[in-house]
Amino acid sequence: MKPRLPLVELVLCALCLWAAWYHTPAGALVRTAGAWVFRTHTTARPLLAYYGAGTLVPPPEHALPLPGPVPPAQALAYGAFAVRADLGSPPAIASRLRSLAQTLHSEDAAALALFCGEETAHYAMEHAGSQPHLIDLARALPPSKTCVSQAAQALMLGGAYALAWPLPESVRITSPFGMREHPLLGGRRLHAGVDLGVMKGAPVRAVADGIVRRASSDGVNGRILVVDHGGGVVTSYCHNDELLVGDGDHVRRGQMIARSGNTGRSTGPHLHYQLDLGGEPVDPLRFRAQRPKTAVGASD
Amino acid sequence: MELRVTERVSKIRWIFLPLGMCALVAVGTHAAADVVGDKVLFAVDRVDAFFDAIFSSWSVTAPLVDLVGLGERTFFARAVALAWELSADALLAIPLLGYDERAAADELTIARVLVKRRPSLRLVQPAAALLVSIAGAAAVARLLQGTLLHYPLIGGFVAATALFGLFLLLAPRAVFRSLEHASAQKTAIGLLGLAILGPLAIAAVASL
Ligand SMILES: [Zn+2]
Repeated sequence: MKPRLPLVELVLCALCLWAAWYHTPAGALVRTAGAWVFRTHTTARPLLAYYGAGTLVPPPEHALPLPGPVPPAQALAYGAFAVRADLGSPPAIASRLRSLAQTLHSEDAAALALFCGEETAHYAMEHAGSQPHLIDLARALPPSKTCVSQAAQALMLGGAYALAWPLPESVRITSPFGMREHPLLGGRRLHAGVDLGVMKGAPVRAVADGIVRRASSDGVNGRILVVDHGGGVVTSYCHNDELLVGDGDHVRRGQMIARSGNTGRSTGPHLHYQLDLGGEPVDPLRFRAQRPKTAVGASD
Repeated sequence: MELRVTERVSKIRWIFLPLGMCALVAVGTHAAADVVGDKVLFAVDRVDAFFDAIFSSWSVTAPLVDLVGLGERTFFARAVALAWELSADALLAIPLLGYDERAAADELTIARVLVKRRPSLRLVQPAAALLVSIAGAAAVARLLQGTLLHYPLIGGFVAATALFGLFLLLAPRAVFRSLEHASAQKTAIGLLGLAILGPLAIAAVASL
């Protein structure tokens, strides 16, 4: 039998192999195995880094010391500045982002344009659906663009700078974020959130718009709510007395979502408030200019 | 001269055609698994909440509740997506390496006979192969166009040509080989295979 288009087939197969080799975890697995057998170096990324089109990133190591409260309209600019200080001052970045958002009709696309260039952002907007998030825009672009990861970090930090506080500012912190002697189990462990000493029944409010990812109860976290705000920003509220929203519910910033309490493994009534960026717990106070006062009180 | 190149290339088709089809399906399963990732995250949350509720009941197992903390869930979700993708690769992409080409008319006849047999779970693999290779072709075209985004005309043309070529020349062969492989197996892939390939095939459509 005589094949008709062998050269075309060769090119098409080469294209598929190129795509699979460089842009799938299976390809990375083969490349890593090859490098191990032949003792050579490979540029294959960790297998899990092939998901999310480069937008699933850890938060940057260093926090930006805040001179004062971040105006909500400048939160993203502060995030961008924390990722790349050479972009200009936060107010200058904010005005650039505003004009980019006006032409691109999307805040995520504006962040993408800031780091990857306007042409790239326009291209991504044309090829992503309507009202796209960064992940949709990034899926239209060739992977392994570091600028996409930078835009993702900027949006993540911008989201964190824009967060409200779950309780009145006057509520005192009874146990801060960080390594500490565990009050119940003993031994040094990471306290992944901040404990806020409030009486049972105090209203707990969502710190930003989001979707309830988890509303459940267990003997350690008590009645727990996990809210996904998008862009890798997730907040959790533990030890509540009563949950007022359920799995999959959309919540608005400032909406009452629970009544605080003393459920789960806890020494007394308090709220454990936790902020996760890119799947890693971070100190929520890093993103606030005012720091609530500390006091001795209930913890977990 | 040109004829000689064509002849030489023809001689190695038995290597590059199966490899290319396998790669096409691998790209498709990845595009689908990437879409599944978000949903998996929600599922992992449900499963985690379920186990947290159980483990926290006894002091011996209570530390496990801390172990699978909020941060690790994203890692778990991605790991599940990865395991899903690699299982789908094993079920769909790897068997394509056994492709032994026949004349197109013969392949069509064989395919008709195989499809007309008693419908069973054996049809899951070829159906999934069809959807996943379409997703793979679209992903390859997207990659090409994205790589050439600064040359929109050339990029658009190259991507459209590649998409057309892959639909016409590779995807049907992948479906045929999948059908042939599934029919030759002693047992059908079973419900586990259906559970792996079913959602991934739907996600493949969503990835377009
Ligand atoms: Zn705590």
